[in-house]
Amino acid sequence: MTFSEETLMAYADGELDAATRAAVEAAMADDPQLAQRVARHQRLRTRLSGAFDPVLDEPLPERLLNTVRSAPANARADNVVPLQRPRASAPRWSWPQWGAIAASLVAGALLAPLLLRPPADAALSTREGQVLAGGVLSRALSEQLASRQSRDAPVQIGVSFRARDGEYCRTFMLRDKSALAGLACHNHGSWRLQLLTAAASPVTAPGAYRPAAAALPPAVMRAADELISGEPLDANAEAAARGRHWSR
Amino acid sequence: MEENDGHERSGRLGMRADPAELRAQLVALLPRLRRFARTLARDAHDADDLVQLAIERALTRAGQLRPDAPLAGWMYGIMRNAWIDELRARGRRAHLFAPAEAAENVGDASQGTQVEALSVQDALARLPEEQRSAVALVLIEGLSYKEAAHVMQVPIGTLTSRLARAREALQAMLGEI
Repeated sequence: MTFSEETLMAYADGELDAATRAAVEAAMADDPQLAQRVARHQRLRTRLSGAFDPVLDEPLPERLLNTVRSAPANARADNVVPLQRPRASAPRWSWPQWGAIAASLVAGALLAPLLLRPPADAALSTREGQVLAGGVLSRALSEQLASRQSRDAPVQIGVSFRARDGEYCRTFMLRDKSALAGLACHNHGSWRLQLLTAAASPVTAPGAYRPAAAALPPAVMRAADELISGEPLDANAEAAARGRHWSR
Repeated sequence: MEENDGHERSGRLGMRADPAELRAQLVALLPRLRRFARTLARDAHDADDLVQLAIERALTRAGQLRPDAPLAGWMYGIMRNAWIDELRARGRRAHLFAPAEAAENVGDASQGTQVEALSVQDALARLPEEQRSAVALVLIEGLSYKEAAHVMQVPIGTLTSRLARAREALQAMLGEI
C-alpha cells in the first residue's frame, strides 16, 4: 500500500481517522523507508516546537497584563466602545503623545486640504507643534450644545466631559466630505485636538442622521475613555460649562 | 479528523459576554498568544506590541465573539490580520525590517539550543506569510487542520496544501538531523 506525502503529514499531525492511521502504522512496521518519511515529519514538529516553546516560559510583560486588566471592553455587538468609569491606572498615552499623533495625522496628505483652506475657514490649524481647532470647528466646540444642535449643523458634537486634569473635552464629527471625527480639549482659550480619525461611516447621507455618539469611531470613544474623569456632562452641565467659556 | 483537545477547551466557557470572564481567559492565553506572535513578528518587542493590539481589539469587540467559539482561534485570527495590516503599512513606509535583523529572540537556552532555535526561526521567517501561519497554527500552536483553516479563513484543502509546501521548504532549508 502506498501513501501520499500529505497522508503521512496528516499522520504526523494526528489528523487521520482511526482506520487510515492503523493502515499507516501497519505499513510502517514492514517498511523502514516509510517509517523514516513519517519520522521526518515528526522531527520537524519537534524542531519547531523546540524553537518557539521557550516563549511560553518567559515572564509575562507587565504591560500586557495591564492591557488585559484595564483596556476598555465592550460586551455589546455594535462595536461602539461605551464611556466607562475613569480607570484607576494612568492613561496609556500622555497628552503630548496624543498631540503628536494628531500632528502626524495632520501632516498626512489626507488632511492637507483642511489646512490649505483660507485661514479664516480652516477647521484645523497648527501652533507650536499642536493642532488646534479653527473656524467652524472651533465655533461649534465653543458654542454648540449637543442637546440642542441642529442635525444639519456642519459639526456634530458628541459627548462633553471633564478630563482628569480639569480641562473640558468634547468629541465631534465633521459633516463635510472629510468625514473626520475626533476629540478636542479646551486649553488657554483654544480647542486642542487630542485625536483625529476618519469617521466610521459617512455622516452626510441625507436622512440618515443618527445620534452622534452612536456613529463615533471606537478610537475616539477610547481616547475619551482614557481621559474622562467622572461621568459625561449632561445637558445642564454642558450648558453651564459653556456659560463659563469652558474654563476649568 | 481528530478533535484537538487541551487548548480550546478553556475558551469554551459560556460567559464570554462578561468582560471580566474574557479578561481572565485572556490572561490564561497570554503565553500562547505571545508564542504565536513570535512566529509572525520575529522581533520580541514587535510581537508583544501585536499581542497588546490584539487584546485591545478583542476587548472592544467582545460582543462579537460567540460564547461557543474557541477564544484562542479568534485571537490568532485578530493577530494575524493585524500583522498583515502592519506589514502593508511598513511596506508603504518602506520601513521593512531586513530579514536577518532581530535574531535575538528566544532567551534562556543553552548555546547549542540557541543556534538550533535561530536557524529554525530563520527558516520559518523565509516562508511566505500564508505558509508560515499554517505552520505556526498547526505545528507550533497545535490547532487541528479544521481550526487552523477557520483562523485563516481558507478551505481545509488549501490549508493542507500550504502546510505541505511549507514542510517541504522547511525541510530543504533545515536539512535532516
